[in-house]
Amino acid sequence: MDTLIDIAELADDLRRVTVEVTDADELLGSGLLWPPGHVVTNAHVVRRPEVTLRLSDGRSLRARVRARDADADLALLSAPGSGVPAATLAEADTVRVGSFVVAVGHPLGVRGALSTGIICAIGPIDRGGRSWIQADLHLAPGNSGGPLADAGGRIVGLNSRAAGPLALAVPMEQVARFVRAGRV
Amino acid sequence: MNGLQSLSNDLAAAVDRGGRSVFGVNGRARLGSTGVHWRQGLVVTADHTVQVDEEVAITRPDGRSLAARVAGRDPTIDIAVLKVDAPGVEVADVADSDAVRVGHIVLALGSGPRASWGVVSSIGEGRRARSAAGDLFHLDLTLYPGFSGGPLVDVQGRVIGINTSGSSRHWQLAIPAAAVNRVVDELLRRGRIPRAYLGVSTQPVRLPEALRQKLNLDQPTAVIVVEVQSGSPAAAAGLSIGDVIVSLGATRITDPTDLKSALRPDKVGESITASVVRGGEPRDVPVTVGERPRRT
Repeated sequence: MDTLIDIAELADDLRRVTVEVTDADELLGSGLLWPPGHVVTNAHVVRRPEVTLRLSDGRSLRARVRARDADADLALLSAPGSGVPAATLAEADTVRVGSFVVAVGHPLGVRGALSTGIICAIGPIDRGGRSWIQADLHLAPGNSGGPLADAGGRIVGLNSRAAGPLALAVPMEQVARFVRAGRV
Repeated sequence: MNGLQSLSNDLAAAVDRGGRSVFGVNGRARLGSTGVHWRQGLVVTADHTVQVDEEVAITRPDGRSLAARVAGRDPTIDIAVLKVDAPGVEVADVADSDAVRVGHIVLALGSGPRASWGVVSSIGEGRRARSAAGDLFHLDLTLYPGFSGGPLVDVQGRVIGINTSGSSRHWQLAIPAAAVNRVVDELLRRGRIPRAYLGVSTQPVRLPEALRQKLNLDQPTAVIVVEVQSGSPAAAAGLSIGDVIVSLGATRITDPTDLKSALRPDKVGESITASVVRGGEPRDVPVTVGERPRRT
């Protein structure tokens, strides 16, 4: 079925822009090659000034934490010389409840694992809380900081945590705002 | 656009279309539930989520709140019907639930809208799936908190059932639209949803192997009558204490739940045959299903 081939290609494309964030061989989480020359991930993934990134082709490079915001749970790392084109972001208005989404990351150390689902809701999970992209999709520790992408492989959010069977991702426009502030 | 992108667009469009007739229902403490604008002015939801008897606060798809009244309930299939004046809210496009097949992609909708997706994993299989609603849909999807009473929709956004996790939270079931239609039709025809009853209390009983062979029964259990209410349909039919009911109409009775399930609201007034064992001998007893008197 064509649709299944599409999913396999989508997963391959996303694995190229998804890094493993490690330190001394310990897997800390996932990260997204975006914007060019940088990696974004969750603040809770990088609690130290420098980490090692492992790319999907097996290469490793050291990366320094350029900015970190524990409240937003976001961190920006400088990662020049990866040679991999950065990820493409989705337009915010294409993110709809019901849209097919995929997550790529390294849950429980499984490299480049793919999960599929749909957008369940967009907004806070508790009244007055922050806004999330809530996806009907399974995440596990190690997915943190990895991409949530639409059916065209464009990034809609950064997977941050699970609320039971629900995946919570930081919307990409929040990530972009953080990056603009952090790059100076 | 590739196949996956067009599937994605179809799913989002189905949520959009289905969501136009979805209400939030605040019929119990803490956790709300979901309802569907089934016919003009009638919202269907899961009975177990409506713990009040008269007025229920509900929320339109556009977020406005209004009051609805409980118009009728059928606890045997976990459906409650609320009466509401909601001009401008679309009535759901209810599809033929008999056309649903195992493996079909389906979406469960909550108010908001919220959505989860999966497939129909089985139809009418398993113990819990035999119910007064007929064959229930077992779903391979997540019913998030508050999704009970909401619509199960197909990829075109047409409603094929009402989702319920029951009171257990561990089930992902949907009541087929055809069963919901029966309840709503009863309500419109009679002005209320009657509670069908026979007027017996029963307990499960194991059928001895010799008796099963003699009567050519393959069910291991049935129910034994332990009480017959005076003036009830069962009393009028001559059922008595000690009778073992093995079937009612076309429904095999293996435990008291089966008996409840067989007594659907639309059976009120119908004569059905109770197959019983009395003194070791089989006997067919015609019973006219009554309407349970309302508590005053």
